[in-house]
Amino acid sequence: MDSLVKIEGVSKIYPRVHKSHERLQAFISLLFGREPAHGAVVLDNINLDVVRGQSLGIIGENGAGKSTLLKVLTGVIQPTRGQVQVQAKIAAMLELGAGFQPDFSGMDNVRMKASLMGMSSKELDARLDDILEFADIGEYIHEPVKHYSSGMVVRLGFAVVTACEPDLLITDEVLAVGDESFQKKCIRWIEQFMKRGGTLLLVSHSMYVVQKLCQRALWIHEGRVEQYGEVFPVTQAYLAWHEKRSAREKEKRIEASGDGAYYRIEQFNLVGEEDDSTPAFAMGDDLSIELQIYSPDDRPPVGVVGVIRADGTPVYGVVSDNEDVKPVKLSDHNYRFRICFNDIRLLPGSYNLSGHSMDPEGVRIFDNRQIAFTIKGNTKEVGYIRLPHEWQD
Amino acid sequence: MIDKILGKLELSFFRNLVIRQIRQDYLENMTGFAWLILQPLILLAVYAFVFSTIFKARIPEAGDIGFVPYLAVAFWPWTAFSEAILRANGSITANGALIGKVAFTTELIPLSSVTATFIMHIIGYLAVLIVLQLLGTHIYWLYLLLVIPVFLLMWLFACGIALFSSAIQVFVRDLAQILPPLVTFWFFTTPILYSASYLPESIQNIAQYNPMAWFVTRLRELLLFGEINLDFTALVIVIFIMVFAWASLRFFRRFSGHFEDFL
Repeated sequence: MDSLVKIEGVSKIYPRVHKSHERLQAFISLLFGREPAHGAVVLDNINLDVVRGQSLGIIGENGAGKSTLLKVLTGVIQPTRGQVQVQAKIAAMLELGAGFQPDFSGMDNVRMKASLMGMSSKELDARLDDILEFADIGEYIHEPVKHYSSGMVVRLGFAVVTACEPDLLITDEVLAVGDESFQKKCIRWIEQFMKRGGTLLLVSHSMYVVQKLCQRALWIHEGRVEQYGEVFPVTQAYLAWHEKRSAREKEKRIEASGDGAYYRIEQFNLVGEEDDSTPAFAMGDDLSIELQIYSPDDRPPVGVVGVIRADGTPVYGVVSDNEDVKPVKLSDHNYRFRICFNDIRLLPGSYNLSGHSMDPEGVRIFDNRQIAFTIKGNTKEVGYIRLPHEWQD
Repeated sequence: MIDKILGKLELSFFRNLVIRQIRQDYLENMTGFAWLILQPLILLAVYAFVFSTIFKARIPEAGDIGFVPYLAVAFWPWTAFSEAILRANGSITANGALIGKVAFTTELIPLSSVTATFIMHIIGYLAVLIVLQLLGTHIYWLYLLLVIPVFLLMWLFACGIALFSSAIQVFVRDLAQILPPLVTFWFFTTPILYSASYLPESIQNIAQYNPMAWFVTRLRELLLFGEINLDFTALVIVIFIMVFAWASLRFFRRFSGHFEDFL
């Protein structure tokens, strides 16, 4: 296997640098070849081998160390520990406008950037036309870069990268900028680049992009390798973990708000519809709803029931308090509302029933639940509800 | 060995950096270039006035050449040197954005800054020499060939100082405040406004190993008097500057991988 970049046991620990005496201490430590006092551990013992033709996607949540890992791979920063072996021509697109001098013209900046990527002036002259064609910014090339729009900066930056024909292309979500036609142009170029045998290393939050472009994936979590291998198992594991975490966070939020003062919804359901599939009704049916609320201080709580369209538009809502309705006490701390929407006049479509619990004063909403349901039928009426009407002479 | 010292010389990139530096610092506007000549000229006029009119300084060594040419020939190289190290000092911090995003040989930044300043001041120096000749001072133009290696050594010396100071500046921000008075002190202890023989003998023994004193004295001898003085001190100075430059590069590289953490 033809290894392009290999890193072994790489750790990156940012030193503590906020106070001037810490900087001085770090300076003295480095002078004597020691490690400076440790601050944040961003990467912890990472091993990775990028092989020719095996594009790699790096995934993980924000702050997991993805960008730092890319900086280590591209040689922008040196790891605190570990080895980085580069055996290929790398082009990095971490920030396409990086290194551009705003006061200088686009042309001057292209020369600068090309020389930075190791192109001689002769090579550049030979490819200049291609670069200008790819960037497609016309006469603006002679204007100072500070007059460019952000999209133009990106186009120029990408154009230079395309000209230097790397073995390994490293990118960090940069394709999210620029207009759609340019994005397509970039993607096409990347696909051709991979067809020609180029290898891609990208950081992305889009599992779709990673699965589409990469054969392997690396999931980093808090600076460590969580999983590394074939793209599908790794991305799926990451997504599953993400969902689980979101659910856990919601639970935590509820716990954190304190059981003692929490008017919690114990149950919210359509009477007679016990199965959890989306219940369907026809226009004119009755919707019978039950809302059970736990009252921590055993005072009768206030309940709210409403209907929302699937796109989020509220259709109707009613608060028990405003209609002087008291809940039925089922047992200590448990109260129940029952409400029936007779002869439902909603037009066919998807809706949500929404239930809320409030404190006995009806000041604050504590909890909410939703039930999805659909209204079936054929009608050419438009809008949300059928208003009672009659056509007259 | 040489390869290891020079690393991968990114010549094309270095040239672009120098051009960029020159355009940024000197050619931004027409007045920028004019000031490059005017500022030292005005300073020169001030020193000439203060020392020859108020202090009535007499420099026997100057003979019938006069104080102003005697001062000018030494003053310009000093300006190039001092401005180079002061400008290069903050160059790493000023280019923090580039260093954090692109991989390249970081030492090129202070080196290009020093080189740009030297190139511009050498142009100014030639202009001054021509003006002096036109005003009646005889300049030994042929010895300009020997001036070149002197300037090269001075450039190398400035590069060494720039590598040391720009690396330290990243960690010790106070250096930017400490450096200018130090450079001023160096200016007054270097025989630019006076002749080396003015120094008390006890100090002369030490002062002869001040590389800048050696440089300006040699430049005067070459251009104004047509003398070539190569003695043991010359060897010491050359060896010292070589070792100093090598040490500065070692020093710089010890820190350069960590700059990003501190910018």
